[in-house]
Amino acid sequence: STSFTSTRALNKRYGWVYSSFHRLQSSQTASSTQPITELSLSDSCVKRLLTVSETPDTMLRVMVEGGGCSGFQYKFSFDTTVNKDDKIFEREGARVVIDELSLSFLSGSTIDYHQEMIRSSFRVIGNPQMEMGCSCGASFSLK
Amino acid sequence: KSSRKFVPQRAAIKLTPSAVSKVKELLSENTTAIGLRVGVRTRGCSGLTYTLDYATEKKKMDEEVVQDGARVLIDSKAQLSLLGTEMDFVENKLGSEFIFHNPNVKGTCGCGESFHV
Repeated sequence: STSFTSTRALNKRYGWVYSSFHRLQSSQTASSTQPITELSLSDSCVKRLLTVSETPDTMLRVMVEGGGCSGFQYKFSFDTTVNKDDKIFEREGARVVIDELSLSFLSGSTIDYHQEMIRSSFRVIGNPQMEMGCSCGASFSLK
Repeated sequence: KSSRKFVPQRAAIKLTPSAVSKVKELLSENTTAIGLRVGVRTRGCSGLTYTLDYATEKKKMDEEVVQDGARVLIDSKAQLSLLGTEMDFVENKLGSEFIFHNPNVKGTCGCGESFHV
């Protein structure tokens, strides 16, 4: 009977934890149908962007296009203009600009600058929407 | 009686001036390396991809190419697929890359990183 009362007491005390947990879960499932619009910049990406940006308004533009061996591919360029449907992600003064449609394909990802002896380039890592990628990392297919 | 060979010897690969200066730069950063080793590896959607590493010793079957003081060793397994290749280095604000203009290539992947011969 002691365990019964303690359970009841616990329920009374922590009932709100469960209810808020369920609320959180349902809100998460609701938000997973709408894409989380987030993009992170890695340390090396920030460093590279700050090194190569000639003017303070220089931004790295990320785009997703159809193409490549896996269906979609990432494109990188430098830009100084912001369009109406653009979103800007900033970290320590380094800025990445992306249009909303492209963002929906790679939200939750990290923009990285990868350095190797044979090549160094910007890349997208950890894309939660990606199912399969080309080995070069430039092309991917959706889940 | 002549034992001299009159067959002209051509270098297995050629380096562009920008590749020469980049190879020299990389080698100056690593004093234990005697050169860079170029190879191929099975990877990517077209079968093969190029590899580049520091070489600390010259292996028996390595083909050695020295151009303007830049030393490149070609891995024995890669010699056939690399013969006649021009090695270039391009650099811009978005990144930098060694590019191999390889006459033996029959097809490449969209990104150009993977190829077959």
